[in-house]
Amino acid sequence: MGIYTLTALVSVVVVLAIELLWLRTGILRTWRFWLAMAIVMGFQVPVDGWLTKLSDPLVLYNEADMTGIRAPWDIPVEDFAFGFGMVTLAMVLWVHAGRREERRAAAGAGTRGPRQERA
Amino acid sequence: MERGEYLVVMGLCLLITLPLELLLGARVWRRPRRLLVAMVPLVLVYSIWDIAMIAAGSWSYSDEKLTGILLPFEMPLEELVFFIVVPICGLLTLEAVGNVLTALGRLRAGEPVGRVLRDLPHGGGPRPAPAASTGAEVA
Repeated sequence: MGIYTLTALVSVVVVLAIELLWLRTGILRTWRFWLAMAIVMGFQVPVDGWLTKLSDPLVLYNEADMTGIRAPWDIPVEDFAFGFGMVTLAMVLWVHAGRREERRAAAGAGTRGPRQERA
Repeated sequence: MERGEYLVVMGLCLLITLPLELLLGARVWRRPRRLLVAMVPLVLVYSIWDIAMIAAGSWSYSDEKLTGILLPFEMPLEELVFFIVVPICGLLTLEAVGNVLTALGRLRAGEPVGRVLRDLPHGGGPRPAPAASTGAEVA
């Protein structure tokens, strides 16, 4: 437990709060979000695994600032919270930006209704 | 080559997700303004976090595997690239999965396979109807 463990957990809470209390895109209630996230986290393993492998690392961590639990391979568990938070934030901001564009386009075009975001 | 290793990994991420845009109609790269609006706050916030963690000594980077190009506040160029590339890969996945789910729904509804597959690279849903058919919407 250390500053990385703490900030990684806080980042997930903040991102979920941004979605649930502020932007409310509803993305967490869609299949496409959870399926896409499962795929992203699946691909995180080879990519992050390569970056953090202890035999020949690209990124070096201070073990005092984290739990020290590394799995699978040498990936710090904190990285999965980091990745989940970051990619979720990207998806929330992307869907939100799309809705705003569509509202603006609908307001500009007048007669044409907004297209629905597919779930 | 070895000093570019981190950048090569990021390049591979872009390469393997390119079919999501080209074959599964993700339309992320083709909406650059929306992409910019979504990405700017994320890149800013995660860069600040990264810079703080580097300053605190929580993590550091291999001198041999990175280009050594440093951005302001000692952030390696590769980290900025990471905060741009990885979220974009996530967005491509989100849109591609959505399109595949839409296509599966259309197949289950009995639409011909050929037509559903033909629409997939354009976004998965039926192609927009010709302008003439939207006349009914005019208020």
